[in-house]
Amino acid sequence: MRSSNPSIPSLSQRLYGVWYRHFKVYTSNLFSNALPPFLEPLLFLAGVGLGLSKYVTQTMEGLAYIEFLGTGLLMTSAMFTASFECTFGTFIRLEFEKVYDSMLASPLTVNNLIIGEILWAASKGFFFSFAVLCILAIFGIISLPHSLLVPFVGFITGAMFSTLALLVTSFVKTINHFNFYFTGVLSPMFFFSGVVFPVSDLPAKIRPLAELFPLTHSVRIARAVCINQYSANLLWDFLYIVIFIAVVGYFAVVRLRKRMIS
Amino acid sequence: MSDAVITVKNLNKTFGKTAAVEHLSFTVKADTCFGFLGPNGAGKTTVMKILYGKTVRDNNENCSVDVFGYDPADNELAIKSLSGVVQQEDNLDDELNVIENLTLYAKLYGLDRKTANKRIEYLLDFLELSAKSKSRIKELSGGNKRRLVIARALLNNPKLLILDEPTTGLDPQIRHLIWDKLYYLKKLGTTILLTTHYMEEAFQICDEVLIMNKGREIMCDNPQNLLKKHVEQFVLEVNSPELLIAPDKEELLKEIRIEKAEQTTRIYSNDNEKLKALAAKLEGSQYYLRQANLEDVFLRATGRRLDEKQ
Repeated sequence: MRSSNPSIPSLSQRLYGVWYRHFKVYTSNLFSNALPPFLEPLLFLAGVGLGLSKYVTQTMEGLAYIEFLGTGLLMTSAMFTASFECTFGTFIRLEFEKVYDSMLASPLTVNNLIIGEILWAASKGFFFSFAVLCILAIFGIISLPHSLLVPFVGFITGAMFSTLALLVTSFVKTINHFNFYFTGVLSPMFFFSGVVFPVSDLPAKIRPLAELFPLTHSVRIARAVCINQYSANLLWDFLYIVIFIAVVGYFAVVRLRKRMIS
Repeated sequence: MSDAVITVKNLNKTFGKTAAVEHLSFTVKADTCFGFLGPNGAGKTTVMKILYGKTVRDNNENCSVDVFGYDPADNELAIKSLSGVVQQEDNLDDELNVIENLTLYAKLYGLDRKTANKRIEYLLDFLELSAKSKSRIKELSGGNKRRLVIARALLNNPKLLILDEPTTGLDPQIRHLIWDKLYYLKKLGTTILLTTHYMEEAFQICDEVLIMNKGREIMCDNPQNLLKKHVEQFVLEVNSPELLIAPDKEELLKEIRIEKAEQTTRIYSNDNEKLKALAAKLEGSQYYLRQANLEDVFLRATGRRLDEKQ
């Protein structure tokens, strides 16, 4: 007998539920969670502005060095926060806190749960690049209002790096393994994706490698948004990000499902 | 129209090469309490998890699982919307406080804010947790945590409540409180499915008990019948069987059954007087004469030795 029409929450309610869980946890320590994203770029820019920029007098892609670096930091902050959230954060929720076990006893599927994770990491990407934006704007390094669009680039950057982080997490057996990912993958990406210096300055042989790095594409879009100059080539960068999210996200879901459902 | 809430036929589940559940079939009728009894590693938890889609069963031809008319393999959301699940671990969200834990799950069940607040207030009161509503999870005692997990499972007013060892490790007061609540819920028309190690729990609240061992059903009946059919009425437990009075052996053996474990010898019989006579020479502290209970059925059915899974 098929009884008593179940009132299944809608897809958006389910995804919002997962997102809400993370939002609630994050904002319950608002001071210690929300201050560092503002302090970090401040420290970075102070260091560069007070010291380094005296020596770096050349422009890079038509920008003063502090502008060049600042627009790159908008994206690295999104990259790092999404990566932390979906490596250490996800792993702890999965293995230590067993948060997912109990959530999966409520009307949620594994897919809902993981897509909720991605949406949350993307939201953090939005917020973290917004924080950098505030600092850059306060110091007059970038101009408003067109730069206000840049947190949206932070959002898709967060989504992109969260899918990669989730895929990595699906392989990891002990939490220490993440160190390899951060030192071996994200640090090189920080240096060779056009954040610290232009990709065009890389040796010709290495340059195609930089194009493989997801961060390169985020940075290119973010910089275009900040200087309000768009070219058709940016569509390729955007396409790269969309495909990356779809493909890597798919494999992350498939592999994590095996860890959550026995 | 049948009034079965759960119908399981020929259920199998293997993990690698280990069979966790083998050829299990059972039916749970609406508004009853159905209990799974079995040693650790018997496959009880696996069965629960299959019912709400946390574990995927083996794909056998003759196998079917039906919960409220839905198969968890393709409609887990419908089943989970109609059910409340209390898992074995107290897996509350440590990063949220008591009321936030409940609010989160009210959202996951899709309750609107007004309904959620009302329901949370009612459940905190129902499980006697109102004073703890702002507490952090780490400050809660084991009994509080368990009650909160149960409250969480009741948020959506479930038609079916699945409880995996709801009272393991709790003190008698809390255990009785939880039993009372389960009685009450059953009266209101909630179907209850639970696993337990406590014979008393199975005996007191279950209408039907399925004893399983090593993934298989050993027996399934209502508790009274299990007792009547599978074990004698009385038991004499002694540590030094050599002190017993030995009457005419042949005649004695007809009416008693002896089970020897390492330290204790248990002598079962339907004739209380006979057991008393046997123990006549012993001092009060050397023997224990009692009524047989479900534990004796259970141990007889599943054996007294441990296997590696336990």
